[in-house]
Amino acid sequence: MLRLVLRAKGLGKVYRTPSGEVTALTGFDHTFEPGCVTAVVGPSGSGKSTLLNLLAGFDTPTSGEVWIGNDAVHALPERERSRLRLRRFGFVFQSFNLVAVLSAEQNVALPMGLAGIPSALRRRRATALLERFGLQHRADHLPHRLSGGERQRVALARALANDPDVVFADEPTGSLDSAAGSKVMDALAAVAAEGRIVVLVTHDPTLAGRAQERLRLHDGRLVEVGAPAVLDTRTSIAPHDVGAA
Amino acid sequence: MIGSLALTSLRRRPLRTFLTALGIAVAVGSTVIFLSLGEGMRRAFAQELRGLGPDLQVSFGPFDGTVFTAVPELPIRYVGTLEAEAERFGITSVTPILLYVRGSLATSTAFVFYGVPADMDPRSLYADFELIAGRSLDPTVPDALEAVIGEQAARRAGMTVGDALRLNPRASFEIVGVASATGGLLDNAILVPLPALQDAIGTTDRVSFLALDLRVPEQASRTAAQIAAAYPELGVQTRGDISSIFERGMQITDVVRLGISGIALIVGAIAVANTMLMSVFERTREFGVVRAVGARPRFLFGLVLIEALLLSLVGAAAGIVLGQVGAHVVNVLAFEVVGVEVAAVTPRLVAFAVAVAAAMGLLAGLLPAARAARIPIAVAVARE
Ligand SMILES: Nc1ncnc2c1ncn2[C@@H]1O[C@H](COP(=O)(O)OP(=O)(O)OP(=O)(O)O)[C@@H](O)[C@H]1O
Ligand SMILES: [Mg+2]
Repeated sequence: MLRLVLRAKGLGKVYRTPSGEVTALTGFDHTFEPGCVTAVVGPSGSGKSTLLNLLAGFDTPTSGEVWIGNDAVHALPERERSRLRLRRFGFVFQSFNLVAVLSAEQNVALPMGLAGIPSALRRRRATALLERFGLQHRADHLPHRLSGGERQRVALARALANDPDVVFADEPTGSLDSAAGSKVMDALAAVAAEGRIVVLVTHDPTLAGRAQERLRLHDGRLVEVGAPAVLDTRTSIAPHDVGAA
Repeated sequence: MIGSLALTSLRRRPLRTFLTALGIAVAVGSTVIFLSLGEGMRRAFAQELRGLGPDLQVSFGPFDGTVFTAVPELPIRYVGTLEAEAERFGITSVTPILLYVRGSLATSTAFVFYGVPADMDPRSLYADFELIAGRSLDPTVPDALEAVIGEQAARRAGMTVGDALRLNPRASFEIVGVASATGGLLDNAILVPLPALQDAIGTTDRVSFLALDLRVPEQASRTAAQIAAAYPELGVQTRGDISSIFERGMQITDVVRLGISGIALIVGAIAVANTMLMSVFERTREFGVVRAVGARPRFLFGLVLIEALLLSLVGAAAGIVLGQVGAHVVNVLAFEVVGVEVAAVTPRLVAFAVAVAAAMGLLAGLLPAARAARIPIAVAVARE
């Protein structure tokens, strides 16, 4: 199978606000490889979420390009982006990921329903995914009856519903204690090990330390790229050095 | 899928769903009650018309509906006049009728007396007249103080054969028979011999109207025009005239009742729109997540629209039940007062209410649905 990569070229985002322009991200170049967790770190306001939104096609960049395989995410019309998110992307957010009125299983089945998968198959796959994350006994529970860690794992199960190429996670452990967070990280690592691209935004140095690759943003710029082991010893690198991977 | 999601959303927020549906139910219910009045009155009138015998009714002066309450105005000599012209106009019988209303504050003792020739067969005027107790008026004693009372009137007054019915201090009639004429005017009327009623109220030379039977009833309109041309001082009505006068009156009240219902429905629609807008606002985050996992904008548009539609239909169903109960209460009250059921919840009224509620739901859901479809994902998922 062809190794599919997610590639950003000269990606930039300028928000126009009543009080002026805010440059949230500028000149971001990187190629995200399958099979590994790429952690995006940086102080608050450094542009991590902005980057994720652009990669996932939630928002349109003011400059640069995003490619998944041969599809130009930045240039697709909204319905094609929806399709891309449905079939090839999965998402886990910091909190309130789940549709409150749907049970854990129904939440996992939701993207399959949107993709037109028949309900019997939907149920079977949702059950299998919940089982994989140790949640089979929670299938019929509404989100408010789940613990924070369980909710995040349900969200991850849902992210995998349509067998995506990329899983985006924005602070998935941000509202969890370290034990629950570590469990979610285990799950993400396993997801990456299946050959998927995992983009993880996190504040937590321990989690970032477990990623195979780490990107540091500062004031909207990519200032460091490195494997965790060597990250501390390296200083900043120029974005174009990594963009051509 | 979208349908079950919409249903789940409504079911899992029971209080809000209930209150909104209740608002719609009240709006639809009051619409059903208002409109059922028209339906019921039309139905009652159609029944009256069926029993309303005379092909033509002749009054003095233009027919304007007051003939039933005003003092008798038609000189009785017109009986002879018209009988003399029977051949020319194709008249087969001329029956003078004198109406007298004994008013009373207590509705159970207010009555309409019909003075008719004692030898008249009531069936010639009111086809479904049927004696259910006692006997008819005695044709051999034309001025006897006796009465045949309509079944409903009898029930309201709590009277039966043998009882005395006082018209005024000078005259009292003995009930000799009870008649039924389903829903017809006669059901509430009291038939007495014409001369006796004339004596009792001191009118000897005037009656309220003449009932004419024609050889060819289908030509009633033409004959009416001929008589009116020959005797401009008379008012001549066909059964059709009576029904068209009634229908015009009903149409005026239709407009009024539709207007009031319209206001109720607009209030209901605003309630739905408000609930759905609030719901969309509250669920911004959730909708952002649904979009993030791959739903297209039109999915959310449809979801909100279907929720609004479901709310309206559930409300409409409850409203129709409410309306039915309301119409029943109206009928019980109306029966007490006027002896006629004035409200009817007909199938076409139910269909109308459902259609209006569905249109209302769709209309009210449009704005919130458009709002939901436009939520930017990035902003929605950034919200906590
Ligand atoms: N919709 C927006 N409109 C205007 N400015 C925005 C918007 N979203 C983000 N910003 C600004 O862009 C910059 C980067 O924001 P972003 O949310 O990407 O940071 P972050 O690294 O995710 O921060 P955090 O760690 O707090 O989540 C910030 O200065 C922020 O104020
Ligand atoms: Mg962020």
